Amino acid sequence: MIEIKKLSRSFGNLVAVDNLDLEIENEIFGLLGPNGAGKSTTVMMLTTLLKPSSGTAKVCGYDIVKESKKVRSKISYVPQDMAVDRKLTGRENVQLYAKLYGIPNRSSKVDEVIEMMGLSDRAGDLVATYSGGMRRRLELAQALVHEPEVLFLDEPTLGLDVSGRKKIWEHIRMLKAEGMTIFMTTHYLEEAEKYCNRVAIIDKGHIAVVGSPENLTSSIGENASLNDVFLENVKTPEEQAGFNSTQFRNLLRRR
Amino acid sequence: MMRAVYYYFERDLVKWLRGKVTVISSLVMPAAWLIFVGLALPTKFTENYLEFITPGILVMTMLFSSLQGGSLMIFDKILGFLNKFMAMPSPRESILYGKILFISVRGLMQATVILLIATLLGVRILNPVHIFLIYLTLFLFSVVFSALSTMIGLYLSDHDSYAAVNSMISMPLFFTSSALMPYDVMPVWLRALARLNPVSYAIDSTRILFQGGIPVQGLIGLAIGAGIMVLLGTYQFRKAFV
Repeated sequence: MIEIKKLSRSFGNLVAVDNLDLEIENEIFGLLGPNGAGKSTTVMMLTTLLKPSSGTAKVCGYDIVKESKKVRSKISYVPQDMAVDRKLTGRENVQLYAKLYGIPNRSSKVDEVIEMMGLSDRAGDLVATYSGGMRRRLELAQALVHEPEVLFLDEPTLGLDVSGRKKIWEHIRMLKAEGMTIFMTTHYLEEAEKYCNRVAIIDKGHIAVVGSPENLTSSIGENASLNDVFLENVKTPEEQAGFNSTQFRNLLRRR
Repeated sequence: MMRAVYYYFERDLVKWLRGKVTVISSLVMPAAWLIFVGLALPTKFTENYLEFITPGILVMTMLFSSLQGGSLMIFDKILGFLNKFMAMPSPRESILYGKILFISVRGLMQATVILLIATLLGVRILNPVHIFLIYLTLFLFSVVFSALSTMIGLYLSDHDSYAAVNSMISMPLFFTSSALMPYDVMPVWLRALARLNPVSYAIDSTRILFQGGIPVQGLIGLAIGAGIMVLLGTYQFRKAFV
């Protein structure tokens, strides 16, 4: 579904994504990595929002630069910002997308995706009254209205409570079962371990490791978790800075 | 394309109409200008000052509301809406055109309030052709400045700097225009500025329409200006996101 070949993007002197090679099949694929590793940049290139500095990628067989409009007709993108209009109702928010995508039989399709996301009884309320989890599900409803082949999710469970996160994951699983490919980024490694078919850990624009969560964890050792794999492969600035407990205590005492 | 423009326009319009305070404030403000400046100002530059100043207030209202309009694009950008819209297959420029259309239509609604109050206060009622041409003049004028403010907004991507730039250009543009006084009572330096000011073009054209004439030159000039600004806006928009 997605073929990434030597994809790079730099901003001035900073190389955000460096010669990325990846192939994503029909699966739930999780892109993991510390803040600033190049996850969002990668997603923005694949969703045609950002031009690569070099290299290519194909989504559903279409080149992300030369055939960007065709790519856009096959995908949906939900960024991490929770961009839903508070002054519109849930249904109106979805309707806008159905109109922009030019969906035939608009109202029945809108009702269908709202129902799918479990928002039917609140569809007529203003989004201002929705909880974070509901807003996220509303965004999924918007993204599903044109039946995309690939769904890009940037931090879909960020800032949601436990049950909200669980619900989002159940929906993602259901979409995979329906045949959709899901490409997502997340910081919640336990969730990635549980729900993703394959994950890649990216650090400073490079892929550190890629594989199924089971293979990655078992290669580290028995009872290892994806967190261990992550810490093994990624040296974050926080970690490099170190934590000197004596120094910290002295600082506290001085106050 | 036209459809997508309309859907984006509709989104902004519904959102605006639901914010009751913003609607009321945007309709009361121009009315206050007209009443207090038009009727209460002790210095009169012309004989029938209300009739003289009504075109000035109309254009001023369009100027301020279109310059303010760029903040809509900033919010769509920083809140993540723009990225979602840009990842859709509908033509990307339609986002920009929808904004320009909404800002201009919102301005025309404010203009309607002013026209109604001016009529109540005794400004002559005009025939339908002139009313239509007044709306056309104001619309073209608004397209020029809403395209400009949207471009500034996209370029700065920060609401505070945008508001600063906005107030830096809006007041000078207004006070160096022919809105408040006729050219012959202006000091020489101001007259020179006012002749160059694009805001004066719109005001003078509207004034001619109020007097029953047809400002062919002014309309053509504004149409060309609007065309150029829309092209520039499209160019910037395409360049910023490919």
